[in-house]
Amino acid sequence: MDETALIQTAQHGDLDSFNTLILHYQDMVFHTALRILGDEDLAADASQDAFISAFRSINSFRGGSFKAWLMRTVTNACYDELRRRKRRPTTQLEPDTADGEEMDSPRWLADPSMTPAEKSEADELEHAIQHCLDALPTEFRTVVVLADIQGMDYSEVATAVHVPLGTIKSRLARARLRLRECLRSFEELLPSSFRLEGERNL
Amino acid sequence: MNNFRDIEQLSSYLDGQLNPSESARVESRLSSDPELASAFDDLRIARGILRKMPARKAPRNFILTRKMVGLKPPLPRAYSVFRFSTAFATFLLVLTFAVNAMPRVSFGASAPLAQEAYGIGGGGAATEAPAATEAPAMEMPLVATELPAASADSAREVGTPTPEVSTLKEPENESALQNQAQVHAEREAVIPVIWQIGLLVVGLVSAVIAFMISRNARKKWS
Repeated sequence: MDETALIQTAQHGDLDSFNTLILHYQDMVFHTALRILGDEDLAADASQDAFISAFRSINSFRGGSFKAWLMRTVTNACYDELRRRKRRPTTQLEPDTADGEEMDSPRWLADPSMTPAEKSEADELEHAIQHCLDALPTEFRTVVVLADIQGMDYSEVATAVHVPLGTIKSRLARARLRLRECLRSFEELLPSSFRLEGERNL
Repeated sequence: MNNFRDIEQLSSYLDGQLNPSESARVESRLSSDPELASAFDDLRIARGILRKMPARKAPRNFILTRKMVGLKPPLPRAYSVFRFSTAFATFLLVLTFAVNAMPRVSFGASAPLAQEAYGIGGGGAATEAPAATEAPAMEMPLVATELPAASADSAREVGTPTPEVSTLKEPENESALQNQAQVHAEREAVIPVIWQIGLLVVGLVSAVIAFMISRNARKKWS
């Protein structure tokens, strides 16, 4: 895929070229939105909005990292979604168990590559991490999602969230510290290499 | 206790964002300061857990349709020509109605204009007309005294010109009315009806052609 050529033709209004870019980036965009919003449906809506917005403003892309530029659109769409949610709070429809825990999501049961026990563990761990991510302030969460989950470098993250590099460093350090504190309460869910006794062996 | 500046440096060191001299300084401090080393482990564990998170795939394709982004099909130049001619013909048509309506409004609204029209068209009848209107008025008191107990209806009847008077003045009145009707017709036909029909036809034909061009372009595009 010649990304630059696709971007250029998309800038001339070619929707097919842009759709090729979408197919390449959609998993990453959705995963980012999911980690920032913590809800699959909201993340799907935000991803779609982000792509529509990206196509409409593609002429504002002046080179550099397209991924970072796209991530900026995604984070903006997520912030809009969070603002909407704040204005109109919703109640989740997923039923809870008798203990008040959320029931297992069927998506894990549909994954053929994992045993039921593994699926259950993975689900619990994912819930624990998402719980800790949700506890972070939005701007910290966005930075940690882009840098640590998406593996973007500092300059790309700075472009995506439109703040100086120094702010990115500071937010990332704070976010990692807070996450570590939060994840201590889920120690038994963590893989052995991430538990306290295994810390030195990393 | 480590200050936040240290934590920030450790985080940057973890991501390889420090220059060689800064990295060397951090490394020497890590080897000599267990508290700092513990904080570094915390950061590394947090990052490791996040990186281990399973990547989730998009639940569906997010590809865009032309409708979603509001794209319109490229239309040929002829489309704008016909669209313009539709709009222009409609404008002219409305204008013709407005122009034709204007004299009628002023004609019906002001009496002096009507009288003027009457005079111009009537010729000699202009001098006769006052007599025709005066005649019943002069006769009225006479009749009124002769029939004091007459009802209001009969009085109204008396107020109208007597058959003798009407027959006497009829030819003059008729020609005056004819002249008035002529003036009306002339005033109404400032813009002939045929022009209006022509503009209507041009507007409708242009609109239909523009619609066909647009529909064909959309069909081809989709």
